[in-house]
Amino acid sequence: MDEIRLMAHLVAGYPDVSGCLAAAIGLVEGGASYLEVQIPFSDPSADGPAIQNACAQALAEGYSVAQALDFIAELHIRYPNIALFVMTYASIVVTPGVESFVRTLARRGVSGIIVPDLPFDADEGLDAACRREGTITAIPVAAPSMRAERLAHMAALGRPYLYAALRTGITGKSTTIDEETLRFLGACSAGGSRVLGGFGIRSHAQALAVRSLVHAVVVGSAFVEVISHANELYHNSPRARDEAIRTNLAHGVQELVSGPP
Amino acid sequence: MSDKGYFGPYGGRYVPEVLRRAVEEIEAAFEEAQQDSSFQKELMRLQKEFIGRPTPLLYAENSSRFLKGADIYIKMEGLAHTGAHKINNAMGQALLAKRMGKTRVIAETGAGQHGLATAAACAKLGLDCTIYMGAVDVDRQQPNVATMELFGAHVVPVHTGSRTLKDAINEAFRDWAASFVDTFYIIGSALGPSPYPDMVRTFQSVIGFEVRAQLAERQLTPDALVACVGGGSNAIGFFAPYLDTEIPRLIGVEAGGRGPAPGDHAARMTGDGARTGIVHGYKSRFLLTEDGQVAPTHSISAGLDYPGIGPQLAALGRSGRIEFRRAGDQEALEALQFFARHEGVVFALESAHAGAAAIALARSLPRGKVVVVNMSGRGDKDLFITAPYFRPTEWAAFLRRELEALQNKEALRRQAPAGPEVHYG
Ligand SMILES: Cc1ncc(COP(=O)(O)O)c(C=O)c1O
Repeated sequence: MDEIRLMAHLVAGYPDVSGCLAAAIGLVEGGASYLEVQIPFSDPSADGPAIQNACAQALAEGYSVAQALDFIAELHIRYPNIALFVMTYASIVVTPGVESFVRTLARRGVSGIIVPDLPFDADEGLDAACRREGTITAIPVAAPSMRAERLAHMAALGRPYLYAALRTGITGKSTTIDEETLRFLGACSAGGSRVLGGFGIRSHAQALAVRSLVHAVVVGSAFVEVISHANELYHNSPRARDEAIRTNLAHGVQELVSGPP
Repeated sequence: MSDKGYFGPYGGRYVPEVLRRAVEEIEAAFEEAQQDSSFQKELMRLQKEFIGRPTPLLYAENSSRFLKGADIYIKMEGLAHTGAHKINNAMGQALLAKRMGKTRVIAETGAGQHGLATAAACAKLGLDCTIYMGAVDVDRQQPNVATMELFGAHVVPVHTGSRTLKDAINEAFRDWAASFVDTFYIIGSALGPSPYPDMVRTFQSVIGFEVRAQLAERQLTPDALVACVGGGSNAIGFFAPYLDTEIPRLIGVEAGGRGPAPGDHAARMTGDGARTGIVHGYKSRFLLTEDGQVAPTHSISAGLDYPGIGPQLAALGRSGRIEFRRAGDQEALEALQFFARHEGVVFALESAHAGAAAIALARSLPRGKVVVVNMSGRGDKDLFITAPYFRPTEWAAFLRRELEALQNKEALRRQAPAGPEVHYG
């Protein structure tokens, strides 16, 4: 079997409240094993243009963190067996207080939190807060440009999950899988963490190339583009749009997971 | 100097791992360059020949007499090449980039002053230069865009977010995450991840050390220093020699904008609009919404509307060493007119905020006290903001005539074939 274990990324509130729910449904129906829900931040400097625009559009519609938390709670009720991770930026986490934010996520059924601009050795108490909750874990983000000692240090934390950014850069552009990348992924899993490998993967073929080196493959920008496309095509019919988002994503996920029909 | 990148509770290096190595390399190179006399000598040569240092310290005799209070001195930083203090930092970092073997420089800019300074420094040092600028700022700062392009810089309009300075910073980080092998990011103020706040202060401290020497030449010691605070680079450089002493008073002036309502100002250290947060790689005081989103700001001066403040200034404000004030749009315009009339000097709108606070302070102090205000920039760049304000009718008529003349020339050019183009080298 050439099935891929997929972590599908989506932006809460994009294109709007009903549209992002349709997206989540499509991603799960297509066969995603994990959902990574991004809570939009005004200044997402580690994201590429597709995700950045999605965040900006959600915020322009007045989408709030409270709404994102409701969305997450609803997903957990619908799909109690799909692991839910939250990705966002430090400002969204530290403004309400790390402790309180982590508790809120844990209560809504979130099992992991990814904050790229909170380094694992200066995380403002994120890991400690997660440990206190017990049901949620802080997921560090590794990049190939890291010094070997630092990456070894991060891997040795032995966190349940470790997020590996496969490209030296930002999400959006495509990935070629070379020797160096393979070595990097090996180093990421050295401490026993399940590696979530992401950034730039768009095809079943690409995913196959790293499948044996990662626990799950993360796909983000490609799905956001599917949503944007549906949103443009059906901008005056929300129901048709949501239906297109759901079915197109379900197909997209299916193809990524099992290969072209 | 920071303690491992922190100034009290603020500062730090909150960057994604992908950027960490790039920042660490800059830290190491900066520390080496500080110890290297040939680097320092080259920087001093460029400061003298290219930037035009030392900039004068002007005794504002007429203003002081008129106000019947303390003696006001103006540090004429706006006479530096490209019109503002920004060049001190841009040249320092560009020289460091060159030393590190980088061939390409990127920078963000709001009003365009840092972009202009960076573009000039890169032209001088032979570095490829890309400037990120919010699309809104590109539209309202065309004269600076034109000059940056004349220096050979690629000016890239940023269409995301609020399409202003903070979005240009995000875009520069994005570029850097993919390009740091050959690219150096020159941040334009005393903020961002460590070591930028230390590095920018160091390159800007030439302002403060010159002032101290210029006052000493006249057998004077200052009672108060006044500077405007956007990100805080001119203020921290100006204050640098005095941070560990008790006098003089150090006064930072923020943009009071149209008033105290959220979105109408950019005051982070006065009033209760700001929160402690982490944005753009450092912890400090920011204007944020309850959710932690970066909040909108306003100032008549494009250089003072950044929603955060350099971490060292935030810490010194908290400890009480620096006093913070705010001056509004109207007060800045009045101060600009005041010094133009009395001293024949036009402040940049940013610096005019410091001017306004200096006027108020001088009035409240007895004669013989010495107040130094940093004129961080000169006002030429603000003509398109000040002229419509001071002379709306005449300015509108002028722009209409200019546009007509341009359109006529275009029409003629389209009829007649172009002459031979000139190429040099
Ligand atoms: C003339 C002038 N003064 C002050 C500033 C504010 O920056 P900082 O607070 O870093 O000095 C700017 C920024 O563009 C400027 O152009």
